[in-house]
Amino acid sequence: MRSRYGFISALTTAILFLFLEAASVVMMINNGAIQRFKLVGAVRHVEAGIWGRTQQVRNYFNFRSENERLSAENLALRQQLALYEKAAAALDSHVVTVTPDFTYIGAKVIRNSVNAQHNYLILDRGSDDGVERGMGVITDRGVVGIVGAVSRRYCYVNSLLSTGQSASAKLVASGAFGPIHWPGVSPDRVLLQEIPVHIQAAPGDTVVTSGFSTIYPPDIPLGVVAGTRIIQGSSQNIDIQLFEDFRTLNNVYIVRNNAGPEFQELYEQAR
Amino acid sequence: MNRLADILFFVLVFLLQVIITDYLHLGAFIYLCLIPFLILNIPFSRRPQLVLVAAFGMGLTLDLVSDGVAGLNAASAVAAAASRHLLYRSLVNRDRQDKTEVPVPDVIGMAKYLKYAGAATAVYMAVYVLFDCVSFRPLGFMLLKFFASTVLSTGLGMLLMLPLQKRR
Repeated sequence: MRSRYGFISALTTAILFLFLEAASVVMMINNGAIQRFKLVGAVRHVEAGIWGRTQQVRNYFNFRSENERLSAENLALRQQLALYEKAAAALDSHVVTVTPDFTYIGAKVIRNSVNAQHNYLILDRGSDDGVERGMGVITDRGVVGIVGAVSRRYCYVNSLLSTGQSASAKLVASGAFGPIHWPGVSPDRVLLQEIPVHIQAAPGDTVVTSGFSTIYPPDIPLGVVAGTRIIQGSSQNIDIQLFEDFRTLNNVYIVRNNAGPEFQELYEQAR
Repeated sequence: MNRLADILFFVLVFLLQVIITDYLHLGAFIYLCLIPFLILNIPFSRRPQLVLVAAFGMGLTLDLVSDGVAGLNAASAVAAAASRHLLYRSLVNRDRQDKTEVPVPDVIGMAKYLKYAGAATAVYMAVYVLFDCVSFRPLGFMLLKFFASTVLSTGLGMLLMLPLQKRR
């Protein structure tokens, strides 16, 4: 009788073990960034509220350096604007209506991970602010990621520092372009792939976004070449030292591509 | 009183784990985890099914409140919980009649406890690294992460648990 009870106990333990492992694996498999956001949406919502408050305190102490950086950025933008104003004034009386290709929504990072294989950010802008899934997120020093899910006041961003994420980039010197991927080791380094072997890339060469995707604007500086490696004799992988330090991300811009719907329409026509 | 001390002990160590996971960034090769030590501190008198569920709950809670992928720590904790009897019998005491309630260093000796805790942490890390990195990380990376994480987690666990256990 005792051994029978022991057998049943061992059997239920084994079944429970398999069930719990299977449940964990299913959670991991379904744990795409969006599913995770939905699964733990309630937890994140509460966390975001708390982190938002703690971030306010942290921001207070970072104001000086942050303001200096923003001032420098504003200055550069004003200089650009002045050039455009001068050019516009030189035009004759023809009326030209210009709609920018990209518009930007400023946002603050209230949660940021850099230490996992699939990293993410939570920003303090949501659907109330016009944020939609699929929008790009950038800073003046690089690409940050893509909006994966949106709630009313917050949005969840799949960080570029995720092993499945990529963006299109090009070498300024040669114009050669390819996808960049995070190899999953250091938050300061990404790989520019599929560059033909005849393209020369010297350490220190600048890499920017190519603009060949509908997500990120062109010519956002990403980083500099740190090294190259030839892959199977046919192409080379270029190690990029990023300009942006993901560990200290604070202010970012969410990018809306105003031509996005038109591109989408074109794709659908072509199908 | 003893039960209250146990609960406080679990809560404190778990909070410490959350802080470590969220704020102590040691790079891609190292993951520090104290959950195996919490699992080892569940008394042997508890039903094994309850221990599995408790381990699953601890792992999943850690996944949800930290940066982890949901299910990753849960799967690892369940594996560590499932293996603790086997590890205890094979590494500490082969006598099936052994009545040790919670094998602490004071009772089973420091060397045996280190082996026992190290092996449980290794089981935990093996599952963790496998699920975290398999299919997109090279084997060398996985092995390095497994060994570094196991050694450092065991070391940290021993450092932190010994004074806490003495207080209990």
